[in-house]
Formats: sequence, C-alpha cells, structure tokens
Amino acid sequence: MYMRRYLITTKEAAVYGVRPAKLWRYVSLEAGSVRLVSIPVVALWTCGPIASAREARMELLSFGSTILRYGFSVVCVGIALGLALACRLSGFHNAEMPLFDLAVVVVTWYAGVGPSVVAVLLAGSMFNYFFTSPVYSFDVSRGDLPYFFLFAVWSIIAAGFVGVRRRIEYELRQTRDRLQVEIDLSLHRESEILRLNQELSARAKDLEASNKELESFSYSVSHDLRAPLRHVVGFSELLQKQASSLLDEKSRWYMQTILESAKRMGNLIDDLLSFSRIGQIETKKTLVNVEQLVNEVVADVEQEARGRDIVWKVEALPTCYGDRSMLRQVILNLVSNAVKFTSMRTRTEIEIGCTDVNQNEVEIFVRDNGAGFDMQYVHKLFGVFQRLHLPEQFEGTGIGLAIVQRIVLRHGGRVRAEGAPDKGATFYFSLPKAQDTPTRIASTP
Amino acid sequence: MNELGRILLVEDDPRDVELTLTALAEHNLANEVVVTRDGKQALDYLYCRAEFAGRSNENPAVLLLDLKLPRVDGLEVLEQIKSDEHLKIMPVVVLTSSHEERDMVRSYKLGVNAYVVKPVDFHEFINAVKELGIFWALINEPPPGSMKKVK
Repeated sequence: MYMRRYLITTKEAAVYGVRPAKLWRYVSLEAGSVRLVSIPVVALWTCGPIASAREARMELLSFGSTILRYGFSVVCVGIALGLALACRLSGFHNAEMPLFDLAVVVVTWYAGVGPSVVAVLLAGSMFNYFFTSPVYSFDVSRGDLPYFFLFAVWSIIAAGFVGVRRRIEYELRQTRDRLQVEIDLSLHRESEILRLNQELSARAKDLEASNKELESFSYSVSHDLRAPLRHVVGFSELLQKQASSLLDEKSRWYMQTILESAKRMGNLIDDLLSFSRIGQIETKKTLVNVEQLVNEVVADVEQEARGRDIVWKVEALPTCYGDRSMLRQVILNLVSNAVKFTSMRTRTEIEIGCTDVNQNEVEIFVRDNGAGFDMQYVHKLFGVFQRLHLPEQFEGTGIGLAIVQRIVLRHGGRVRAEGAPDKGATFYFSLPKAQDTPTRIASTP
Repeated sequence: MNELGRILLVEDDPRDVELTLTALAEHNLANEVVVTRDGKQALDYLYCRAEFAGRSNENPAVLLLDLKLPRVDGLEVLEQIKSDEHLKIMPVVVLTSSHEERDMVRSYKLGVNAYVVKPVDFHEFINAVKELGIFWALINEPPPGSMKKVK
C-alpha cells in the first residue's frame, strides 16, 4: 500500500488493515518528500511570529545577561527536542527538522550570535543522536548522511540569514530611535523657539507701549508743565511792574526769588526734555570729521568766552562714524564745561586730543586746568541733575554730562573722567572708528 | 468780544489769553483781537456759523493758533483751513508751548506760515507776541479778502 499521508491514526490503520508497528515504515517511505516540504514551511512559519514579536524581542535582548541568553538557547533546543520526541512517540515522524530549525531561528533572533552558535551545535548533536540512524548514537549511517547534512546546512543558513536580518533590524531600530530622539529634540527646540518668540513679541509690545507712554509723558510735560510756569513768571513780572513802588525791600526780594525760581524750573524742564528727546530721536549715522566738529565748537565757545585768556590745544582727531549733531552736542557740552569750570583761572588751558584704544575704537578727551573734582564722587558725575559744586560757584542744572553719556552710549562707546580737586579734569569718550577710511586726517592750521 | 478784529487768537488758557492781550496792548493791537477758546469755536468763526453767523465773510489778517485745544485741536483746525479754498490763503501762525519736533514738522507740512514757541521768560514772551502782532497785523500785507485795518 502506498499512501501520500503524513499522519495515520491507529483507527485508520485498522481500517486499512495495517498494524501499528508497520505504520512507522509507511511514513518513513514518505520521509524524503516530508523533509523537502518542511524547508519552505519553516521559513514561512518563522516569519510571522518574528514580525509580530518585535517589542518582546527588544525586551529579551535588553535584559542583556549572558547566562540568561545562553540558557534561553539551551531551553529552546531542549523544547524542540522534547516536542520532536513527543511527535515521534505519538507516531508523527520527521517533525524534528522544522522544530530544531525553529529553535535555532528563535534563538538567533532573540538571543544573538553566541547563543545561536550554541543552538546550532546543540541542535545538530541532538538531531544526530536521536533522529539519524543509528538512533541513540552520534554516528550517522550512510543512508541518513544527506538528511543530516541537509539539516546542518539549513540550520547554518537559517541562523546566518536570521542573524544578518536581526542585525539590520537592530540597527534600523537604533537609527529610528536616534531619529525619534532627534525629532523629539528638534520639536522641543521648535516649541521653545516659538515660546521665546512669543515672549519676545510680548516684550516688544510692552516696550512699545512704555515708549509711547514715555513719549506722551514728555509731550505733556512740554505742553502742560510750561504753561503754568509761564503764568507764574508773567504775572509776577506784571505784579512787579504794577506794585514795585508800593513794596518794601524784602517784598521785592521775595518777588525776585519767585521769578528766578520759576525761570530755573523752566530751564530744568527744558533740560529734562532735551535729555529725554535724545533717547527718542533716531540716530542718523554718517562719517563725521571730529576735528572739524571740534574746531567749529571751539570757535563758537570762544565767541562766548571773549575777554578770557584761553590757550586751546587741539590735536589731530580721527574721522568717526556717528550722528553729527549728537556728537556736536557731546563736544559742545564737554568744551563748555571746560570753559565754565576754569573761570577762576587767570590763564586757562584746554586740550582736546585722542588716543587709540584698539583697532575699532578711538578715545577722545577734553582736558582742562580748572576746578577739577574729587575722584571719590566720579560715579555721580554723569548722573541726571547731579552736581559736584555749589550753584553759587558754577551755574548749571547738571544735565550736560548726562546728555554726553547718553549720546556716547547710544553710539556704542563709553565715557569716563579723571580729575583731582583744583587740579583740573579730563573727560574721555570712546567712539567706533570709521572703517575703511583714513583714521586720521591732517590737522588744519 | 470785538467781531471786527483782524487777529483771530485761538487759545484755551485764559491766563495765556490775558498775557497775550497784555503784550498786544502795548502796541494798541489788543482791540483788534478776536478770541476763540477752542478749535470748534475758531472754525465756527471762520465759517461764520453758530454764534458768528452774522459776521461779514472776510478772513482775519492772521490766525494765532495754539495746538493743544479742547474738542478740535490746533492741527485739525490747521488741516481744515489749509484744505479749504477760501481759507487757505489766510496766514496762520502756530503759537504754542510745544517744542516737539513732530508738532513742528506736522504744522509745516500742513502749510503753516510761522511756528512760534511761547518762551517761558515773560519779557521774551511779551516781545515775541508783540512782534508777531506788529508783523502780521501792521507790516504784512494780508491776502485779498481779508479785513481791512479800521483807522
């Protein structure tokens, strides 16, 4: 009897009139075809669970312990052996090859290269010992040699293929994880940038609002604060004119004080306004010939200080980059100060020169031999309405140097001062040099 | 209020009005002045409406205009005047406390004839107003259609 069947139950055997003892031989006849069929079956069979068990695999690989991985290898081969033996005992033969191959593939996939080699060797030995004739020995009969050889080659190919796949898979996964991390990071950065941008635009709005407020503040100061002041002055003048003859000496002095105070307040308001205006006006930066500017200012100041013996010493000065009218204000304030604070000298010396700080910056100074100041109070010099002398000594509101500092800071420079009481003072301010132009120009006689 | 005055003063502050009139009085120009207290009243005067409906349709020889005014402010008045065919030939002098550059620029852009900042100092103020009055009411020849000086 010749039957193309893999499994014959004892009942069927009875129907066909075959004794169970003979069953083994019928199936053995079929062995060649069963073995060949098993190869693609194993391949298909292993792919499904492998694809669906990625997460589990990562779990398994991640426990990382060598003993566990080799143990896993031995256990897998052991289970395959047990199943194969159980199959043989229940009468179903030739299940050993797919079972051992499955074990090898599973071990290779889940436990890595070392355990995979162990699994192949172990599976080979078990296969040899239990399933090739002669059974229960490590010898292989001539008839089963191709079968054993097929098993060995197939195991190695499967292990190699799965190993390579696993490595690729692993690397892909790692790359994906890295990418994921990078994406997360860049998303995080993006949201951070977005947040910062929003913050920035909120700040800009705040700044704009406070700028507007400041502007309207100075606007209303200039409009509204001056009017009552003008009335104080105006009506006091009218009163003085009207009732001067009726008033005694003291009353006239009071009147005079009211007038002077009101005028002084007017000057303070004007100074404060011009100081606040510097912050609001846009700087129109061009190349400025500082020496020419200094000469202009000196000529103007000299006109006002006629009758005084002033020796001017103006060195060669560079061309700078800045707002001409603002820089003129700086020089005017410093030179006027020099003239003012030397008023008690019979012979005044004022020197204006410069020193190169570095390649991009130049420092211009105005030196006088006047009243000077105590270096202890140098930090107060550039403050708004800060004065180091009594009003009787030198007039002024104390806004000049504050304006100087504000303008120089707006130009990206710095201000500083040196001096000693009664030994004169030197005021320095630095400015960015004009690039790509001759930094010094010949001094005019 | 003399409605035949040749100088139209637009000023909301009564003390400023008084000081201005005092200054003009020194040259007997005070009774030439018509005072309006805000932009709306000034436009009413110029267009002969509301309380000024009965006046003759001649323009003042000069308009002295403050900028900060209730209801209609000085710049709006100026804009209105300079966009009106009949009124735009009338000389307008801004007389204000404001040193602000933007007010100045805007006024000149609208075609103002002069911009004078009221000095805090009384003598300077008196002089400024006096000179303005003399120049615009006496020296300057006003455009045709303006009120003639009544001798």
